[in-house]
Amino acid sequence: MTTPNKTPPGADPKQLERTGTVREIGSQAVWSLSSCKPGFGVDQLRDDNLETYWQSDGSQPHLVNIQFRRKTTVKTLCIYADYKSDESYTPSKISVRVGNNFHNLQEIRQLELVEPSGWIHVPLADTHKKPIRTFMIQIAVLANHQNGRDTHMRQIKVYTPVEESSIGKFPRCTTIDFMMYRSIR
Amino acid sequence: LQAAIWQALNHYAYRDAVFLAERLYAEVHSEEALFLLATCYYRSGKAYKAYRLLKGHSCTTPQCKYLLAKCCVDLSKLAEGEQILSGGVLNKQKSHDDIVMEFGDSACFTLSLLGHVYCKTDRLAKGSECYQKSLSLNPFLWSPFESLCEIGEKPDPDQTFKLTSLQNFSSCLPNTCTTLVSNHNISHRQPESVLMETPQDTIELNRINLESSNSKYSSLNSDSSMSYIDSTVISSDSVPLGSGTAILSKQAQNKPKSGRSLLGGPAALSPLTPSFGILPLETPSPGDGSYLQNYTNSSSVIDVPSTGAPSKKTVSRISQAGTKSVFSQSGNSREVTPILVAQTQSSGPQTSTTPQVLSPTIAAPPNALPRRSSRLFTSDSSTTKENSKKLKMKFPPKIPNRKTKSKTNKGGITQPNLNDSLEITKLDSSIISEGKISTVAPQIQAFTLQKAAAEGLMSLLRDMGKGYLALCSYNCKEAINILSHLPSHHYNTGWVLCQIGRAYFELAEYMQAERIFSEVRRIENYRVEGMEIYSTTLWHLQKDVALSVLSKDLTDMDKNSPEAWCAAGNCFSLQREHDIAIKFFQRAIQVDPNYAYAYTLLGHEFVLTEELDKALACFRNAIRVNPRHYNAWYGLGMIYYKQEKFSLAEMHFQKALDINPQSSVLLCHIGVVQHALKKSEKALDTLNKAINIDPKNPLCKFHRASVLFANEKYKSALQELEELKQIVPKESLVYFLIGKVYKKLGQTHLALMNFSWAMDLDPKGANNQIKEAIDKRYLPDDEEPITREEQISELGTDESQESSMTDADDTQLHAVESDEF
Repeated sequence: MTTPNKTPPGADPKQLERTGTVREIGSQAVWSLSSCKPGFGVDQLRDDNLETYWQSDGSQPHLVNIQFRRKTTVKTLCIYADYKSDESYTPSKISVRVGNNFHNLQEIRQLELVEPSGWIHVPLADTHKKPIRTFMIQIAVLANHQNGRDTHMRQIKVYTPVEESSIGKFPRCTTIDFMMYRSIR
Repeated sequence: LQAAIWQALNHYAYRDAVFLAERLYAEVHSEEALFLLATCYYRSGKAYKAYRLLKGHSCTTPQCKYLLAKCCVDLSKLAEGEQILSGGVLNKQKSHDDIVMEFGDSACFTLSLLGHVYCKTDRLAKGSECYQKSLSLNPFLWSPFESLCEIGEKPDPDQTFKLTSLQNFSSCLPNTCTTLVSNHNISHRQPESVLMETPQDTIELNRINLESSNSKYSSLNSDSSMSYIDSTVISSDSVPLGSGTAILSKQAQNKPKSGRSLLGGPAALSPLTPSFGILPLETPSPGDGSYLQNYTNSSSVIDVPSTGAPSKKTVSRISQAGTKSVFSQSGNSREVTPILVAQTQSSGPQTSTTPQVLSPTIAAPPNALPRRSSRLFTSDSSTTKENSKKLKMKFPPKIPNRKTKSKTNKGGITQPNLNDSLEITKLDSSIISEGKISTVAPQIQAFTLQKAAAEGLMSLLRDMGKGYLALCSYNCKEAINILSHLPSHHYNTGWVLCQIGRAYFELAEYMQAERIFSEVRRIENYRVEGMEIYSTTLWHLQKDVALSVLSKDLTDMDKNSPEAWCAAGNCFSLQREHDIAIKFFQRAIQVDPNYAYAYTLLGHEFVLTEELDKALACFRNAIRVNPRHYNAWYGLGMIYYKQEKFSLAEMHFQKALDINPQSSVLLCHIGVVQHALKKSEKALDTLNKAINIDPKNPLCKFHRASVLFANEKYKSALQELEELKQIVPKESLVYFLIGKVYKKLGQTHLALMNFSWAMDLDPKGANNQIKEAIDKRYLPDDEEPITREEQISELGTDESQESSMTDADDTQLHAVESDEF
């Protein structure tokens, strides 16, 4: 690639949450890693703290497995990566695979990162452009910047679209007038 | 020693009281001392100590039993409590009459407590029976009435709150001590009452009175009685009273501080008065009705079911300048009673007693010019003034004699200052003048006065009872109506306004409700009881700033109230931080496991986080705590709807509707579910009903339009939607549905126009449905050109025109898509 452009940072996922259109469901899943250094594991990956990170400790590809109790609709994946702080530990090639279990995974996205410096939003959609429904997601780090062996990943968030609680199979309402009457609380 | 203990209790010096009581008990192992010690523990907030103490020793006296039962209930040992009061589930149960006989004056409280136990253990019939009996014994109690309303019974306020049923009223008279003085003693004997910090003078005067009768208890009395004054004078009309009222209200405010919910109250009476057989007949003060929640003390103070305690007590009280027993003692006219009532109300909560009220009238003579509403006095002013002068002359000589221990009779001094503008009613003066002569006459007079006072309170209670009953049966408009007609000084109190706010909330008029609740916050910012409804109102209105302010304030103020944590939970839920909201709602449940609304809100949060099983459990818990909590039934219905178990959903919504038939939102939901069950006709009927009840509910119209659309009544659907467009022009759903209708009608350009409007109005662009709808427009184009042509030919629209439009739309669509990430 000639002079690849740097991957621009995406918006803070918190803003996404506030729109009420998506909901973070990482807490409903079981997370596992292919390898990690003690003290730099799943907790650090999921602790909402950008200072702490997961550091892998094995051979590539490094895997993050997210397994749900039931088939879940996943709309977006958000990964925080920062070249300036992680340098050779920053992932550069990530593959996202989904499936029912470990033997059933299919790659649906592959993305290249060039010196990322913030949140990367990875929309996951199937062939019909709808969010995917799956039991399991696997994020594989295939390569790092500067050909580093291990990788750092600071935070990963998984988002599902919020279903409307209003009755009827209609999209969500936009005005408060409608929303007031939508439910009894 | 007992006197010292009671004095300490009255001054809330619990450590002193406990210490002394322990010494007393060690000295004298009598049941009375035991009771006293237990009371000290209970009042200092250590119910478990009282419980263990009483359990460890046999308690046969009624007051011990009552206190023990109360502790049991507080500690959630319901079966034990019940057993103590009525002989248990397995043993032969005492009938209510037995209980009445056994407990005497505290029977009404005992029954109320028993009713509470029955209701909690699912024996609603027995519970309501107990409450009814309790109310018949003592119509001044509000909480049995409230509980009856809440369990769904419809007690008749007119029947309940009337004086004629007071059996003891007359019986009190004969018992009243032959001397006025002794009466005072009796009245003072009610230490348990919320002793209000009465101004010095009143105490003094009382003391004087007491002196004569029973020196032993004088100190006690002085402390206790005065507080009764609470008559927060309400009369606001008269100018001269203006200053008086100001003072009164200040004093009234003192009362709340002093009064505490004395649960062991009733019990306190009996042990101390072996000699005071009369005590039982003490008239509960009209104020006792203290249903004012602010001061809820309901049962504690009043034991005496009937107004028995005649004015005698009042006599002593009168002097209190502070105690403005505003009670217009003038039995003269009924019109006075509203004022009276108002006054009693203010005083009510804590004071146990009417006697106090009356006291002013009688005590008035010396300096006491009880404050009365000007209305009362207008007619009597001249005469009363005269009389008071006479009385003044007569009494002062008496009083100094009595002054033995009292320090200073400030009463006399202060009163004139305060009461310059006040006048004694004619009746009072007459009573007073007579008083000297005989004790009987005044008693009768006092009795009449008292009756009048009580009657006034009753009428107020009746009105409020009607309002509350209407609210509990969810006749919200009527409730608002009734409550708005209360006199303004009552209207502007936290309890009334909260009820009205809740009524608006149930009607889904959130703006109004918000307005009222913010008023409540302004007037009584210490009130937490209605605040959970306020927080939900703000949640509906999506006012996050106000909501976070509210929740912060409440949690700072009272960390032990479930309402505060519910408000906090609502705040975070609005910010869509559902995990934190869940945490707060769970905390609310921890703080009070009997608070149904916390379970309901938690259930809603679980629904939002898609944990439907937990949500089901929560809603069921809410229903277990309060079967009439229709929000929980609604929540269950919603879950079943989500799970597409439509018949179950309908059943649950119907149950909710049975409890609250006026809710247009519920009807709307039922309509949609019926439509899902293919009962479209019924659905339309239901939706029509909903619209009739509340024409302002746009969702009903929307759903009606969608049902019509599904039934292919496009014209009427369009009409409905056009109306809706006028009401809520910015709602994207409306345009979406219009677009769909037009699409079905084949007017594709209009359809597309509306879809694009819908998309514009919904910039977050999560509406795949809209995009799909537009996409579908093209699918036929690409895949089924034949059908497309058919459509076109049907419509008779120009094909080229359409295709050009679709091209334009295509590009527009792509543009839209690229915007989304």
